Amino acid sequence: MYKLLEFIRSTYVVLLFVVIEAVAFRCYAHSSAYTEARLLARSNEVAGSVHGFFAGVKHYFELGRENRLLTARVAELQTLLSEYRSAETEARLDGYMDGNAHTQYELTTAAVVSNSINKQRNFIVLNRGLRDGVAPDMAVLSPDGAMVGYVVECSERYAVAISILNTSFRASGKIAGSDYFGSILWDGSDPYRVTMAELSKYAEPQVGDEVVSTGFSQYFPAEIPIGTIERVVLNEARTAYTVDVRLAVDVSGLGDVILVRNNDLHEVETLRASDKVKELNERP
Amino acid sequence: MTHRRILYFVLFAATQLLQAFLFNNLTLSVWFNPLIYVAFVALLPLETPHGLVLLGGLAAGFAADWFMGGAGINTIATVFAAFVRPFLLALLFEKENIREGGIPSSERLGRWGFLRYLAVFVLLHHFVFFALEALSWARFGQTLLRVAVSGTAAVALTWLAARLFTSKLTVRV
Repeated sequence: MYKLLEFIRSTYVVLLFVVIEAVAFRCYAHSSAYTEARLLARSNEVAGSVHGFFAGVKHYFELGRENRLLTARVAELQTLLSEYRSAETEARLDGYMDGNAHTQYELTTAAVVSNSINKQRNFIVLNRGLRDGVAPDMAVLSPDGAMVGYVVECSERYAVAISILNTSFRASGKIAGSDYFGSILWDGSDPYRVTMAELSKYAEPQVGDEVVSTGFSQYFPAEIPIGTIERVVLNEARTAYTVDVRLAVDVSGLGDVILVRNNDLHEVETLRASDKVKELNERP
Repeated sequence: MTHRRILYFVLFAATQLLQAFLFNNLTLSVWFNPLIYVAFVALLPLETPHGLVLLGGLAAGFAADWFMGGAGINTIATVFAAFVRPFLLALLFEKENIREGGIPSSERLGRWGFLRYLAVFVLLHHFVFFALEALSWARFGQTLLRVAVSGTAAVALTWLAARLFTSKLTVRV
């Protein structure tokens, strides 16, 4: 017994080390981007207001630039609106709106509380949460409407979004004006570029082409700008292109964002999970 | 003695808060992510028992994980660094010198000795962190670049922290 105690006394540091590392490794091995988002949402319940304070100070110095962007955006939208007005008489436009009380997408805004680009899994914390009607799966767009990420976890007052600069981020993108699509992902090395992989060999991508979202994703509406093509590489088997896309958004300079709720998401999900669809899927 | 304990508590809090509210939110570059909270473990007195250094590493790593939303990655790296610290000290300095105790600093270990100790200790910690974060041999070059850039910044910041810290304390026991 004494010998056992003596042995433990002489090796307790090694034992302690092995036990702590084993537990930590177990936690880390079982984690995903979603686990991290959940943990981050929990810590922001406490630390969020301090993050918010610092973000506010930083935001203050970027107001000028943001205002210029917004004014440009308003001008752009007003031009569009005037085009619609001249195409339709106002009365008909009103009648058109009346028939469509249900809109698929609802927009709201939020400010960035904390944001990073220096990790492999980057997240953006926003100052709107469940009590403001923000929920997981909402799309996050920059003030000028470019793809930024989507919400994965919410607390009462804050939301955590997975950034497009997160190696676990996935979305589908296509070349504007065509129907060929590929998957958008970040390789962790450049905050201004993402990769569009598995683009069909028939797509004929050209440098300078615009890349936008497809409508397939449960998060993003169709035609959301992602970026422009900068480099095109045909894979060795000559079956698909891998394309470097220069992002439309500068994630490091985000102050405010637009959140998009897909009102039809629940309905689509319910349909997908219906017994008939399941039955078809399970058929050999 | 209690004065020293309070200052270590301040060091722990200051490095954690700086990490959480400044360095975790930096959007300067994808390569620049200095993990300065490890300064607390690096600057623990030389005579601290091994088990206590390990617990210090656990506390620092756990707190950093909590702020960062990490699922154990900071804990793994910091506890590892804390575990190898005595062996590292024994390797770099003479046994009697370490046994005398005191606070790791330029005054206590010599300018180059201290810098060498900090560099190896911080880079080891950063290497474990970034290798685990990437979990891929394919981008090993990128991982090494991250370790080099962020680690160098962390060494410089820890050195500064040590200067500030030891200006309030006598480095010998």
